[in-house]
Amino acid sequence: MENVAHGGMHVSGGIHHEVELSAWPFVTAVGSFLLPISFMLAFSWGMSHLGLLVAGIALVVVLVGLFGWLNQVHAKKGETSISKIAIIIFICSEVALFGGLFAGYLYTLLPAGVWPPANTPAGVPPIGLAVVMTVFLLTSSATIHNAESQLEKGSAGGTSAWLMLTSVLGLAFVLCMAYEWHHLISDGFTVSTNSYGMFFFLITGLHGSHVIVGLIMQLFVLLMVKQGKMSKNRHVFATVTGLYWHFVDVVWLLVVSLIYVIPYVKLGQ
Amino acid sequence: MNEPKGFKSWIFTTDHKKIGVMYLVTAMIFFVVGLLLATVMRIENMDMSRQVIIGPQLYNVAFTIHGAAMVLFWMIPILLGFFANYLVPLMIGAHDVAFPRLNALSYWLYVGSGLIAVLALVMPGRLDTGWWAYPPYSIKTTANIAFYVFAVHLLGASSIAGAVNFITTIVTLRAPGMTWGRLNLTVWGIFGAFIIQLVGVPVLAAGVTLLLFDKYLGTSFYDAFKGGSPILYEHLFWFYAHPAVYVVALPVFGIVSDIISTFSQKKVYGYTSMAAAIMVITVLGFETWVHHLYVASTENWSRVLFMWATILIGVPTGIKTFNWLATLHKGSIDLKTPMLHALGFISLFTIGGVTGIANGSVGFDIHVHDTHWVVAHFHYVLAISMSMLCIGGIYYWFPKVTGKMYNESLGKFAFWLTLIGAMIAFLPQFHLGIEGIPRRYWKVPIRYAGEMRIAAIFSFIAILGFLLTIFNILKSAISGPKAPANPWNSKSLEWQIPSPPPFYNFEEIPVITEGPYEYGKPEGDVKKGH
Repeated sequence: MENVAHGGMHVSGGIHHEVELSAWPFVTAVGSFLLPISFMLAFSWGMSHLGLLVAGIALVVVLVGLFGWLNQVHAKKGETSISKIAIIIFICSEVALFGGLFAGYLYTLLPAGVWPPANTPAGVPPIGLAVVMTVFLLTSSATIHNAESQLEKGSAGGTSAWLMLTSVLGLAFVLCMAYEWHHLISDGFTVSTNSYGMFFFLITGLHGSHVIVGLIMQLFVLLMVKQGKMSKNRHVFATVTGLYWHFVDVVWLLVVSLIYVIPYVKLGQ
Repeated sequence: MNEPKGFKSWIFTTDHKKIGVMYLVTAMIFFVVGLLLATVMRIENMDMSRQVIIGPQLYNVAFTIHGAAMVLFWMIPILLGFFANYLVPLMIGAHDVAFPRLNALSYWLYVGSGLIAVLALVMPGRLDTGWWAYPPYSIKTTANIAFYVFAVHLLGASSIAGAVNFITTIVTLRAPGMTWGRLNLTVWGIFGAFIIQLVGVPVLAAGVTLLLFDKYLGTSFYDAFKGGSPILYEHLFWFYAHPAVYVVALPVFGIVSDIISTFSQKKVYGYTSMAAAIMVITVLGFETWVHHLYVASTENWSRVLFMWATILIGVPTGIKTFNWLATLHKGSIDLKTPMLHALGFISLFTIGGVTGIANGSVGFDIHVHDTHWVVAHFHYVLAISMSMLCIGGIYYWFPKVTGKMYNESLGKFAFWLTLIGAMIAFLPQFHLGIEGIPRRYWKVPIRYAGEMRIAAIFSFIAILGFLLTIFNILKSAISGPKAPANPWNSKSLEWQIPSPPPFYNFEEIPVITEGPYEYGKPEGDVKKGH
């Protein structure tokens, strides 16, 4: 990697800037381009083995790109305030994504009259498990908050302890979800069962993937804390991870209300 | 100054100016693709009694890729890719955007998406769904809808990354003294457009993803027989795709203001109302999408509500138009090529805008819905007027970007070709629309053949004008005479540095003491580096 150190760097309003060459955005984009190509190889052009191979390559390329990128970013001084603003702006975009799907769900639910549709198996939605999952996730919001306070106090040990607890709770949530999906599908409740089924898996799946992304971010923060790369005055990525995690929790409350509670109380019956 | 050179310095660049130039080149390639597809369709329109060059099936493919190429790969990228990248850091007094690497990623994702769009044109399973890809047709057709979905995904990721990047940049990286009231209106327009991208794109991405699920995973989100609804797709699609018009329009409004102010050597009339109008349209733009669904069994209360919101958009838009005219009033007007394009834009846009008000009213829309009227309307209001303005903007900043001057007489000649061609090319289609002739059919009834032939001939003239402009830009970029730093005598910040700008834009971050349109003041008052 060729880094071009620059003579013309200036600090203005606490903002530090440097221009350089970086291969990682290009690498990440190449991987992102190969992912859809792999899908089309497998599903549109009937070459499923090649598709699988390309998908594997694409994933590796994306991960290499992102990892190299993060490494390069971390080699520099980040600005907490800018990254914090950026992640809040990004979360607005995520709100729109979930908002659009929730709106689509309500658009399908409201004219249906009976919700969930009559052919939904008994015991769906599994509300008991949802309560447990809610407890896990809400607790984890508190623990990640504690991790951040410890980081601001400068205690690496406290930070990693609270962070690990957060990750364990998050992981427990994902495992519950995996168990729930497995259980539901073997009971014959799938995306093709009815309109409730498709939205159930769509929205819980989307949320679950956000939880997994949050967990990967936590893992990265944890590694940096362990290596002493994060300190009181340098914890951009921890702040970003915290905000993202809180967002994922808030969305879960909406998921529970709309996807679990409304069908549980059997609207319209 | 240690500027990297060579092939790698482009592929791996994170410099906003280089990324901007790459966007410019790529977007112009798609513009040419779109123009060629338009040419093919118009050749087909020359004779309504027989197949001229392509059959109905390829005609469907042609208008699908024409629409997608023009909106998604030319207009939005030229504005939010080229202009935003090149100008925002220069106009706000920054060395670069907030996240230069993310900026590079945005560009390369756009290229990836563009490649998929090209595949959709040349591979088996050519996309014939129209640029909106409505179900159930888009799911049942043999066309490969995956092309569409993934092109939207990659472009969407590119747009969201761009939105996060540029909103953060404008909020945090303004030079000392660059208050919100001193931003160029171009920056305001880009800011509003990125807000729309940020909130709108995810909804479109969700909508098209469900198309893919319906086709490949056995869901039935859009299948009315299985508890879904195809209308849901139309809502999700237009929730973004209508505001997408403002994604194009808002930066265009800003650029028009900048060009008119410079070539009238006069302060923009009503700066605050101009900036406010941009933000009002940003918000109001999200309350109008249902006017695309007036005939999709929409409830009456909803039709009326969205009709009012749609027509209300005419108010801030009208404010802008009157302010441009007021800026011209008693200005010292210099009809250079960029200025001609700005004035041409205003005239075409006004025709489109006025017909838009008519189109927004439920009663009239039901009559002309999905007819040639609509085609005429949006080509005046969006397609040709705003493409023309993008070209005007490229001419305007050409000396800054390349350090060279374009050919003024060829520029003016090409402009008049485009304006005359565009003015007449779509007029007959208003008439066809009122007569109730549906659009997107490869042939219209023979009694309208004469009108369609006139439309075709004038569209060739307009297209020739655009192609001459592109030739002018390419040739001047290679062999144009050297340009001074500020050939237009503009007061805006980007013109106060050398052309082309140095690698680092500003030796030192400037301290801003006044707005970009302060004409008629003594020279010494121009903002300077401290």
